[in-house]
Amino acid sequence: MNLTHAILAALLYIVAAPVLAGLLAGVDRIISARMQARIGPPLLQPFYDLFKLFQKERIAVNKTGHFFLLGYLLFTIIAGVEFFIGGDLLIVIFALALGSVFFVLGAFAAGSPYSHIGAERELIQLMASEPMLILSAMGFYVATGSFQVHDIWSRPDLLIVILPGMFAGLVYVLTIKLRKSPFDLATSHHAHQEIVKGITTEFSGPYLAVIELAHWYETILLLGFLYLFFAPWPWLAVLALAAVYFLEILADNTNARLYWQWVLRSSWIFTAVAGAGNLVVLYYLSRGGTP
Amino acid sequence: MTKHPLKMTKVALENLFQKPATVPYPAVRKPVYAATRGRIAIEEAKCILCLICDKKCPTGAIKVDRPGKTWAIDRLLCIQCGYCVEVCPKKCLGMENLYSPPVSAKAMDVVNVPFTPPPPKPKPPPASATPAATPAPEAGKE
Amino acid sequence: MANRTVIPFGPQHPVLPEPIHLDLVIEDEHVVEAIPSFGFIHRGLEKLAEKRDFTEFTFVAERICGICSYIHGMGYCQAIESVMGLEIPERAKWLRTMWAELSRMHSHMMWLGLLGDAFGFENLFMAFWRVREGLLDIIEETSGGRVIFGAAKVGGIRRDVPDDLLARIPAQLAKIEAEMRPITDVFRDDFSVRQRLCGVGVLSQKDAYDLGAVGPVLRGSGVAVDTRLEGYAAYDRVQVEPIVESDGDCWARAMVRIREVYQSFEILKQVLPNVPAGPVDMKVTGAPNGEFFARLEQPRGEVIYYVKGSGKKQLDRFRVRTPTFANIPPLLKMLQGCQLADVPVIVLTIDPCISCAER
Ligand code: SF4
Ligand code: SF4
Repeated sequence: MNLTHAILAALLYIVAAPVLAGLLAGVDRIISARMQARIGPPLLQPFYDLFKLFQKERIAVNKTGHFFLLGYLLFTIIAGVEFFIGGDLLIVIFALALGSVFFVLGAFAAGSPYSHIGAERELIQLMASEPMLILSAMGFYVATGSFQVHDIWSRPDLLIVILPGMFAGLVYVLTIKLRKSPFDLATSHHAHQEIVKGITTEFSGPYLAVIELAHWYETILLLGFLYLFFAPWPWLAVLALAAVYFLEILADNTNARLYWQWVLRSSWIFTAVAGAGNLVVLYYLSRGGTP
Repeated sequence: MTKHPLKMTKVALENLFQKPATVPYPAVRKPVYAATRGRIAIEEAKCILCLICDKKCPTGAIKVDRPGKTWAIDRLLCIQCGYCVEVCPKKCLGMENLYSPPVSAKAMDVVNVPFTPPPPKPKPPPASATPAATPAPEAGKE
Repeated sequence: MANRTVIPFGPQHPVLPEPIHLDLVIEDEHVVEAIPSFGFIHRGLEKLAEKRDFTEFTFVAERICGICSYIHGMGYCQAIESVMGLEIPERAKWLRTMWAELSRMHSHMMWLGLLGDAFGFENLFMAFWRVREGLLDIIEETSGGRVIFGAAKVGGIRRDVPDDLLARIPAQLAKIEAEMRPITDVFRDDFSVRQRLCGVGVLSQKDAYDLGAVGPVLRGSGVAVDTRLEGYAAYDRVQVEPIVESDGDCWARAMVRIREVYQSFEILKQVLPNVPAGPVDMKVTGAPNGEFFARLEQPRGEVIYYVKGSGKKQLDRFRVRTPTFANIPPLLKMLQGCQLADVPVIVLTIDPCISCAER
């Protein structure tokens, strides 16, 4: 991929990701509403919300928090750009993690106990989800011999066939990342939680909009991750992603919020069984093939 | 009864393919019943400004002004209890089954009442002369 | 030793739309102690009884609570009627029983939804509230109000319900019951729901009794007490068994309420065909002179009304002890040692109505 291509891809991601993710959020809300036998908001409601948040008054509990939030947005975008220009998968994962850490620091900057507990839970969620992300990078490496996204997506073979465990593990982790029940611990898309709005409690107006925006960039990036498994067959990829997203919505609407202990334990077990298991099998297969 | 842990999935999927239970509110409204408690209406022609509703209303929503010849209600104070309807001696108050429309400011709904109250003190000056048994509503002199 | 933090919970908290304040002393995410403070919504209702005509006070009594409103009005009227020695017409008694049960059902269903909401199960919340809407329709059609019935009156009831309407209700109820089955099954069987309710906030039978718990909290801990057995209104002529669960945890309390909703369907099946013809109210003359304690079963538990009059239009003293008031000490007991995530769930399982408790 040459430089102009890269710049184009980066720009495209920066512009198109929020639009796509916003629409996706709109569809999400409508489907959620229908599952609850409600009519639900208009498709563009997430955008209305975002613009409204940007128009609101800026009230700061602690200005440092806002600096960290910009870090969150920035590093999430960097992770996404790195991914969509076909860069290094490890950089993507660590930039994404760094972004989340900035978010956590931002929440810690305010003195509120809700915000603190939310931040602690966010860290726990990171602990629950990061192993699977890193493991999937290793899976891609073992399967394709490269950490470069570009190399992975230009392979002719369907990676889902040899990495089904990785895919399942990522889908599991996606639930955490999308903040869906039963894993919406740190903050929730719905208002009622024991720690109020958790990690986002102490942010207001435009800063909430920044958080939402960063979340949208993150969503598209994660879906991009899943896309890699089906890269040679785009239509299959789109179908699979739609199915995955539908399952996430369904899970959100058919589960209670669980305890953080349960979330951590279950995601580690799932990572170990599906992710690591897949890796081990793959390793033996490739060893068995080469000698 | 089968016991399985994913019962909600069935409910959610069924809902997905059914007509939603909610309605797009201002455009479509839920039907009201004949008994539904709504806004208080007055047939001002019948009112005799007797002040009973004013005195009995538990929240003090009704204000009757005899000299000014008005009957007024603060719709936001009214709790739709219907007590005024019960106590009105002329049965000129009624409860509609529609809610009063939303407002953005508190205001009294003032109704002018055609009834002219009899002069304030017909009795005191002459102790027993002119008993004036129930003055006819329209026959007040001004 | 972990750090202790104090988390303020309420009086304004999205998960608990009730103005109670709890200082939760927590270690990591475990609650060591819960310290309540009250008085955010004291309304001076009891004092108002000394200013208002005793018949008009019914409207105020009905508004002690926004959910179990009807039974408040009915309890107040019952207390006054007992002081004055009034025997209200039979039809009024039966209709009061009907409304009391409808009120219990809609309150429990609202609560079941709120509980779902408290553990982050929005769909369950929507499902219960959707089904409850059918009950509110029945209530609206019979009494005119949706949650504030406005149907109580000293000496009877304020609105008669036409017989053809009474005849239609059983079919409507059957439909609601059928809609309810699948979602109450979710409460009983769903994995994530059981994770959040079973073994959480356990209150032993002894503690429940000693701390003076009432209603579903008491019955959820295995004590069979139900004030409906006192036989007020027409309860002496219908079959009522206290619903008891023995686990004493949040799940048991939810089960008690679910089973009570089904029990109410059964009670209504006995009530509706048996409503006798006749007048629904009687003329009340004079003023209460004397005092009386009335005890009734609210959806939230036993409620007590005390009225004292001395022949004046205004009462000398009115006192109401709402079930939430009695359930606060057991609540504090349940909260000890729970996780922070359990707090909203446990607080909800007493079905708190703080504004009633503070009157
Ligand atoms: S509305 Fe009825 S009660 Fe009120 S002043 Fe007029 S006549 Fe009297
Ligand atoms: S309905 Fe009740 S609150 Fe409303 S005006 Fe009449 S008496 Fe007053």
